[in-house]
Amino acid sequence: MNHQHIHSSNPRDLQMARSMCWHCQSEMSGEYFCDRCVKVQPVSKELDYFTCLGIPRRLTIDQHQLETKFYELSRAFHPDFYQNKSAAEQTISLGNSAMLNTAYRTLRDPIERAEYLLDLEAGSVKQIRNSPPADLFEEILELQDTLNEYRAAGRTSVTESTLRTKLQSERNMLEQRQRDMEAALQQLFVQWDALQDRGEATSQARAERDRILKEMREHLSNRTYVKNIVSDLVSTIG
Amino acid sequence: MAYSDKVVDHFNNPRNMGSFKKDEEGVGTGMVGAPECGDVMKLQIKVQNDTIVDAKFKTFGCGSAIASSSLATEWLKGKTIDEAQKIKNTDIVQELNLPPVKIHCSVLAEDAIKAALADYQKKADGALIDAK
Repeated sequence: MNHQHIHSSNPRDLQMARSMCWHCQSEMSGEYFCDRCVKVQPVSKELDYFTCLGIPRRLTIDQHQLETKFYELSRAFHPDFYQNKSAAEQTISLGNSAMLNTAYRTLRDPIERAEYLLDLEAGSVKQIRNSPPADLFEEILELQDTLNEYRAAGRTSVTESTLRTKLQSERNMLEQRQRDMEAALQQLFVQWDALQDRGEATSQARAERDRILKEMREHLSNRTYVKNIVSDLVSTIG
Repeated sequence: MAYSDKVVDHFNNPRNMGSFKKDEEGVGTGMVGAPECGDVMKLQIKVQNDTIVDAKFKTFGCGSAIASSSLATEWLKGKTIDEAQKIKNTDIVQELNLPPVKIHCSVLAEDAIKAALADYQKKADGALIDAK
């Protein structure tokens, strides 16, 4: 991969490139507010959520640090505080608040955080093609049939109670599988962060990077499939 | 957001739901999933003399995904392999009037068609080699 390219499209740089205050045109040095005229500045759409919330781009994050920064910025951007300000500032306040909320919601949840990081690192999710897990799909579709049978079976019938027992044990197994996948993901998160911390540019490090991203993609996808069928099971058999 | 009448119709009366035995002669199976939403789709074709004589599907997902695969099986029946290759997700979007957020369902259906055709082709090529 072309390292130069990654560097030039670094959101940090883009943010720095926007170096003038929209209001007084002075050189910007503050984070979100102009040092000279104190006007709020629009958060660049190019800014990634990690940078927006001032935390390192890692998969294990300091929840407390994230929350503190979120509350701090929420207060700073909140539209209520801009009611007496100019229309331009009100618009910026709204836009910034929306961006901030999305950023916080995404980073707060470990799974969404990982999905987001994959998007950042791999361009789009679709760039990491993994072969669909055919066995898992067969299992899901078969379970779907059993669920339909169960729904069609008369209440308190023998069929219903037999199927219920079967579905209940399937549910336990799938929930365990989901937990296993989440544990595996946790491991990958740690590996990813360690790799980032080392910051090596060797071909070995690049191979390791690709392996982790690919495995993460696989586990995240499979987890979504399993989670969907589990929630279907839960809502049907209670 | 409301589903179009056509989507509702396919959802309530899905055409060709079910499956063939995977190893049956002339059967091609396409199994695809959308990691973003967790939808799973299985689409199968039965081919005789280069023509799709029957098609079946099973889909675990939203109404649009079910409608897209149901419509796909309807369209596949009677088509030759070459004609089937030409079915595009945009055709499905148009026919079912899918909103932008549901376009990925039609992409999934197109992927399933392609996968089923590829699987059939692979099996047919294998049989040819065996025959030699």
